[in-house]
Amino acid sequence: MFSKEKITIAYTIEKCPSCSFEKKRNFKEGDYLFANTIKCNSCEGTMQIEKIFGESIED
Amino acid sequence: MVDLTNIDFDQLFGFGDDSNPLMMLIWILPIILFIFYGQRIQLQVTSGEIKKGIKKLDLYRTEARKELIEYVKTSMNPKEDPTKRLDRFLDYFTIMPVDMDPNGIVDKVRHTVRAREDFSRNHVKSLSPSTNEIELSKITTLLEIATSLHMIYKIINHMYLTAKKQNNYPLILPLQMILPFIMEEAEAISKAIPAFKLGQPVGDGIGPMVVGKMMVDTKKETVAFQTVVGEKEYDERKLFLLKAEGPGSSVGRPGDAVEKIVSKNKPDIIIMVDAALKMEGEDSAITAQGFGAAIGGIGTERFVIEDIATKNDIPIFAIVIKQSIKEAINLMTKDIANQADNVRSQVYEMIHENTKPGQSILLIGVGNTIGVSQ
Repeated sequence: MFSKEKITIAYTIEKCPSCSFEKKRNFKEGDYLFANTIKCNSCEGTMQIEKIFGESIED
Repeated sequence: MVDLTNIDFDQLFGFGDDSNPLMMLIWILPIILFIFYGQRIQLQVTSGEIKKGIKKLDLYRTEARKELIEYVKTSMNPKEDPTKRLDRFLDYFTIMPVDMDPNGIVDKVRHTVRAREDFSRNHVKSLSPSTNEIELSKITTLLEIATSLHMIYKIINHMYLTAKKQNNYPLILPLQMILPFIMEEAEAISKAIPAFKLGQPVGDGIGPMVVGKMMVDTKKETVAFQTVVGEKEYDERKLFLLKAEGPGSSVGRPGDAVEKIVSKNKPDIIIMVDAALKMEGEDSAITAQGFGAAIGGIGTERFVIEDIATKNDIPIFAIVIKQSIKEAINLMTKDIANQADNVRSQVYEMIHENTKPGQSILLIGVGNTIGVSQ
């Protein structure tokens, strides 16, 4: 009867271009697509922001 | 005691008797009332609904103004209070050129719109000249949002008050019909503010996202205002990759860029990737391929691209990613973001199908590039 308010949470997907290792985390201000971020945990490559998107959840 | 279980309604209201004066009054009075005051009653009922909508529009524009002023104060740190100047910007209007003689109208429209854009950017920058270009582009977009909501409110309120003043029901009908569409758009615009403030990619940025990734390892060159091009070899073909310069909020000037690229290196085909409004009933984030220049806006950029392509006999192919107006200007949804790889493979497939080795391709990622670098 009462529609629930939807909250959108922004996520950032980081991917290592060398080994394709992916990591999902909450979006941080200053993130933008294809920016180099941190060192990859599984190889010596540098992680790159692959996707930034919002996922809605009901409150 | 009155026996309420034994009331004869036929007798009371005279249902069986046509000459009962009470019965006649019950039927005739509403008819007379509706003949003379029907439109006014409808006007009152409709007014109530429209008033609620206008109240919401007022809230959207007030919030957008407040957010803009706060953002300018925190991000630009101006010496003086910017409120007065920003309020003046909100009321700026654009007079479109006379179209009685359509000859040369596109150049005139482009000139007027660009003059306004340049004016806004320069005046926002003058609040704090040390502001970087990315922040400046975000503030200019927030100003556009606040101005649009301000203008929507003013127009709808004007239409409503005119109808009320004239007590004219037919005058309120068009407003009643367009209001749901206006409300949908205004809500979408209003909800776009956080994404632009935080520099997050929006649904419209899927075109720049597709092309931006392909540009990552290329040497970039500014080819037009806020527009960059990169070159890349792909399967014995030459790719010219074009998009607005990110990660600031900009759509660039693809028309000017195409003009320059084509004059130097005539590509054999042009491929445009853009977001497109989905039809009601269509799923979001589905892709479609077609022909012609896939680019929105007021039409001046499209005109230039079509004109150059026609003069040089270059076919234009398009790939669009369908979405609603709300999705297009709000934080990109997961479904849309997940289409990027699929669209990229469609681009490569299109290149293989329509070009031969040794040929060149101009690939344009159309849309707002907020949060999307290259």
